[in-house]
Amino acid sequence: MTKAALNEESIRKALSEFLEVRTPETRLTTMGAGSDDLEGGKSYLQSTAKHGWHVPSWPTQFGGRDADNRENALIGRVLKEFIVPDLYPFAIGLGMVGPTLLTHGTVDQKSNWLQPIATGQDVWCQMFSEPDAGSDLANVAMGATQDGDEWLLTGQKTWTSRAMWANWGICLARTDPSKPKHKGLTMFAIPMDATGVDVRPLTQMNKDAHFSEVFIDEARVSDALRIGDVGEGWRVAMTVLSHERAGGGSRGGGEGTTRGAFVPNWISDLETFGVLQVPVARQRLMEIHCHDLASKFTSQRASDEARSSGVPGPAGSGAKLRTVRSYKERAYGSNRLAGASAMLTDGHGYIETMTAPSMSIRGGTDEIQRNILGERVLGLPGEPRLDKTASWSESRKGLL
Amino acid sequence: MSKLIVDELITQTANRLFSEICSHEAIQNAETVGEAPEIWAAYTETGFPWISIDENLGGSGGTLLDALEVLRLVGYYAVPVPAAETGILGGWLLSEAGFQVPEGIVTVLPDQGPDLAIKVDGSQVSITGSAIRVPWARSAEIIAILFHDNGNNYVASVQASDCAITPMTNMAGEPRDTVRFDGVVCSYAEVSKAIDSQSFRFRGALSRVALMAGAIEKMSQMTVSYTNDRVQFGRPVARFQAVQQHLVWAAQDAALSRMAAESAAIEATRGNGAFEIASAKLIANQAASRATKACHQAHGAMGMTQEYPLHHYSRRLWSWRKEYGGDAEWSQWIGQLAVAQGADGLYPLITGGSRVL
Ligand SMILES: Cc1cc2nc3c(=O)[nH]c(=O)nc-3n(C[C@H](O)[C@H](O)[C@H](O)COP(=O)(O)OP(=O)(O)OC[C@H]3O[C@@H](n4cnc5c(N)ncnc54)[C@H](O)[C@@H]3O)c2cc1C
Repeated sequence: MTKAALNEESIRKALSEFLEVRTPETRLTTMGAGSDDLEGGKSYLQSTAKHGWHVPSWPTQFGGRDADNRENALIGRVLKEFIVPDLYPFAIGLGMVGPTLLTHGTVDQKSNWLQPIATGQDVWCQMFSEPDAGSDLANVAMGATQDGDEWLLTGQKTWTSRAMWANWGICLARTDPSKPKHKGLTMFAIPMDATGVDVRPLTQMNKDAHFSEVFIDEARVSDALRIGDVGEGWRVAMTVLSHERAGGGSRGGGEGTTRGAFVPNWISDLETFGVLQVPVARQRLMEIHCHDLASKFTSQRASDEARSSGVPGPAGSGAKLRTVRSYKERAYGSNRLAGASAMLTDGHGYIETMTAPSMSIRGGTDEIQRNILGERVLGLPGEPRLDKTASWSESRKGLL
Repeated sequence: MSKLIVDELITQTANRLFSEICSHEAIQNAETVGEAPEIWAAYTETGFPWISIDENLGGSGGTLLDALEVLRLVGYYAVPVPAAETGILGGWLLSEAGFQVPEGIVTVLPDQGPDLAIKVDGSQVSITGSAIRVPWARSAEIIAILFHDNGNNYVASVQASDCAITPMTNMAGEPRDTVRFDGVVCSYAEVSKAIDSQSFRFRGALSRVALMAGAIEKMSQMTVSYTNDRVQFGRPVARFQAVQQHLVWAAQDAALSRMAAESAAIEATRGNGAFEIASAKLIANQAASRATKACHQAHGAMGMTQEYPLHHYSRRLWSWRKEYGGDAEWSQWIGQLAVAQGADGLYPLITGGSRVL
């Protein structure tokens, strides 16, 4: 198909050759909650990669189709009419590492890693957080010391989602402790099967065991696996995070929709509980629904912006706050309106309710997103901080 | 009239016992196994389950207020036992009907299935149909069922072993089983006219209010202590005002629900606490929603793990706020009552509560 021929109809026709149309009955997991399925996503990605349908804005030779923003958005919209499985296991690669490599990666890194991400062959995880580096991400202590053409990594990561599925980790490490905390960091790709890498899954309160502690003891990483320059790790990390916040990786999953139908399924599903006639409930549902719509547009704009400029912007923080609020309000609202039966573990909205609190924590907490917006959009003064200029070896002691 | 002050010894003993037997691991283990016989055994040794039940009928004596104080602490320590069911709900129904309370666990039916039919047949009743979300039915000796027949109220005392029980759990992993009665025959006895399905619902709500007040208080304290220990950006996160706001929400909700629970307990012990109980359940439900959000948010990722005990409280609160009436049910009840007082009656209702009704 030539690029000029792309319109809604032609996209729909092309997709319908290998994808099933969503129906009002379609129910898929979101953000992997309650599911360990990798196969659905893998076969979907295999079938879409040939024509670059899932990552249209990527270059054609890496599994995309060189789409501009308009085309990318159009494809995204039409894709929603089809059954796209929950791509949670693949989200780091598709939504975060991929776009980051397009900005910061070497030619070799792009040609080695992008295609396997697009086809679902490789699963990536994000190894940023550590026990002492959560909101204060620049405090990472994972050490990387150079040894000829290689680096030796030692330290501990935590909350690493998908680590037990992943064959690659994008890992933020400290290469120079004498520099201020943001300056001495460098980004690496680590093969998860490297000697010295030990993944220990942690169980979450929703019973998923999707995040892990990762202990790294003198793992050897070739210098060819370094992403960006030495000392530029913070900048690369910000690119990754801006894509995460803009929601680049989250296509797929969720509920069914029917073209032309206006009532979303999460609302019509409440019909059986007899609450849709109740004025108070209707008001609440419509508040959430309106917020949802605004949230979708905000995210779309933020992710287009992040993709086309390739540089991190604060729009992602605004988008993340909205998306998270939407998820949480839908989860809590549905569970509440479903009444007493929804107290059971097989009740309506159970897994969403148990997952909801994590949404305003993962990918940077709501408080941190608001700090970013306050400082970078409104130009408000930040908290007084002395750790920006002192060496990390000093500032880590916490006495500044 | 019963005295309206909690016996301090009860608070002390319960605090001491529960802090010994309810470790994080013990609670977690009870959830995995589906019951906690050792914890139950230690709990029964104190006589706690039967406080407020007549000693002549196998109870431990004491007031409803005392029993509710124990329940508050059961909530505070997330003690994984059917304390309310065996005591102020099931034990109460049985003793009001003149039955001796058994040594084992008693449970009740918070919600009957639509098909439950109870047929009186001389000195016995025959029960068919099902009941849902029955707390700890799998571990119970007796299921006490309140029913209405021919203008009178009765309590049936069912041997749980005569029923078919399907294990189900609430969000907190507490047993909320489905119970099937296939023509189960058992004895029954009459209770006073005042003990009807409405007063039972209020009593159920009262039990949940006590549990919830305890759980919210514990959650609030845990969060203050965690955020004072957790250092980011070179200082305890509790030093950030954004985090302090979460702490204040949780502390307010803890104080609010405890105050509501206490005034409901006092009025109920005095005789009629309908207005206070309804208000307290609504307050506790709303407080639970806010406080769980605030406490989870202030904990960051740590609070999402099974290894850290915050979820014992948040998941219980998410379940309990639905039991014996969610927000809508109690809002409606209070709204109707308030409107019925007329404009001039509203202020007296707010200040005087059930006593002016
Ligand atoms: C389900 C889940 C999956 C995750 N997956 C990954 C992953 O794959 N890879 C990865 O690297 N990480 C992952 N994380 C970690 C996540 O990025 C961190 O949890 C997050 O950055 C917050 O850090 P923390 O949990 O240490 O909270 P803390 O930083 O300890 O925060 C505690 C509280 O203090 C507040 N706070 C902290 N600093 C400030 C401040 N300056 N101003 C105001 N308030 C402040 C926070 O907002 C929060 O309310 C995951 C987390 C969860 C819950």
